[in-house]
Amino acid sequence: MQCHDPNEELVNQKAEIFANGFWHNNAIFAQLLGMCPLLGVTTSAENGFWMGAATLLALVCSNLTVSLIRGAIPANVRIPAYITIIAAFVSIIEMAMNAWMHEMYLILGLFIPLIVVNCAILGRAEAFASKNTPINSLVDALAMGSGFTFALVLLGGVRELLGQGEVFGFDIFGADYPDVLMFILPPGAFIALGFILAGVNIINRKMKARKDKQAAILATMQTADLNTAEVQS
Amino acid sequence: MKIDREQWQMVIALLVVGVVCTLLLATTNIFTKAPIAQAERQALMNALMQVLPEHHNDPIGDTRDITMDGDKKPTRFYFSRDKDNTINTIAWQVTAPDGYNGSIHILMAVHPDGSINAIRITGHKETPGLGDGISKNQPWLDAFGDKSLNNTRWAVKKDGGDFDQFTGATITPRAVVKAVKKGLAMFTKIKSKLLKKAQQQTEAQHAMP
Repeated sequence: MQCHDPNEELVNQKAEIFANGFWHNNAIFAQLLGMCPLLGVTTSAENGFWMGAATLLALVCSNLTVSLIRGAIPANVRIPAYITIIAAFVSIIEMAMNAWMHEMYLILGLFIPLIVVNCAILGRAEAFASKNTPINSLVDALAMGSGFTFALVLLGGVRELLGQGEVFGFDIFGADYPDVLMFILPPGAFIALGFILAGVNIINRKMKARKDKQAAILATMQTADLNTAEVQS
Repeated sequence: MKIDREQWQMVIALLVVGVVCTLLLATTNIFTKAPIAQAERQALMNALMQVLPEHHNDPIGDTRDITMDGDKKPTRFYFSRDKDNTINTIAWQVTAPDGYNGSIHILMAVHPDGSINAIRITGHKETPGLGDGISKNQPWLDAFGDKSLNNTRWAVKKDGGDFDQFTGATITPRAVVKAVKKGLAMFTKIKSKLLKKAQQQTEAQHAMP
């Protein structure tokens, strides 16, 4: 299919970047990056959400900055420059959380400064922002960051639901629910993540099967068109 | 060795990135310093409110720092006073270094006669669902009320003491009980000095209007 409207083309391009970052290239589901905060803080959906939000913000700032200065940094020193930029933004986020979200800051603790070494962020700076325009890098950061947050909230929600019978602190299963402690403990994080990854793979396979089917139908239609064209000529 | 143009570019690029990031951090620090101090003060205030009885002074501003033997940092004692300015409770923070997962910080409030008013856990990394009962299990925390060195066996029941352990978690309550007992023993030792100084302090405050 060809797009002749430049606006539509632009929107399609951004949508493709977003879909890639959020789903097809998702830091957790597809690349299995950033496991440390994922397994460490997702004892509840709320913890997962704020950890994801902090990472999203760091990712947006670093992607945008790296993209803006991408011509000015010599290739040899780009990694130390990127890490310095990421560390600065993460420290700023940490100080802001300490000041205005003190309780959540105490819960997330060490995992906030550890965002600096989340390879998903340096990975995006290196693989995307250093080669693309600021706008595209911003879209990529938003997609990657929200995909990461989605994964953290999903895992946190599953663990909170099975471990305590609650989601975001709301009682779901009632007071009689026998808390399955294992899901709050580290082994539960691995087990829940395994099942979620299996689910993601099933969805991906179904999506691919549907796409193949559509492509097959399209191909037969085109052959039919060609045949008619041949007959007419 | 001569530094060529390319190398100068690297030096300048890193220098500029470093300087700009430092400036950004310094600016953020200026803007967040006061709110951070305020948030920490608020958190301490909330914890103090939970362990102290009714008082007619500002315990955060009514303090005394004493360095214990063998400690590097001084311990800060917060005084809670009645209407007639007599001290009804003293609160301070103790640390149990032997929790299941790192140190446990405990805020304890003790009457001048050496009996406990209340304790609260202000920081810990114990296992959720097991050891973290120390901060969530209110009846367990309440069991510390009115306990003093003389009227209590300071150990968990498993060790022949008066305090419950939790199912599946003995180390955590054991560490807390031990730390609170140690705190009480220390208090007995420095009580006279501490109370005398606190009294003098008040008199000094009254003397200079």
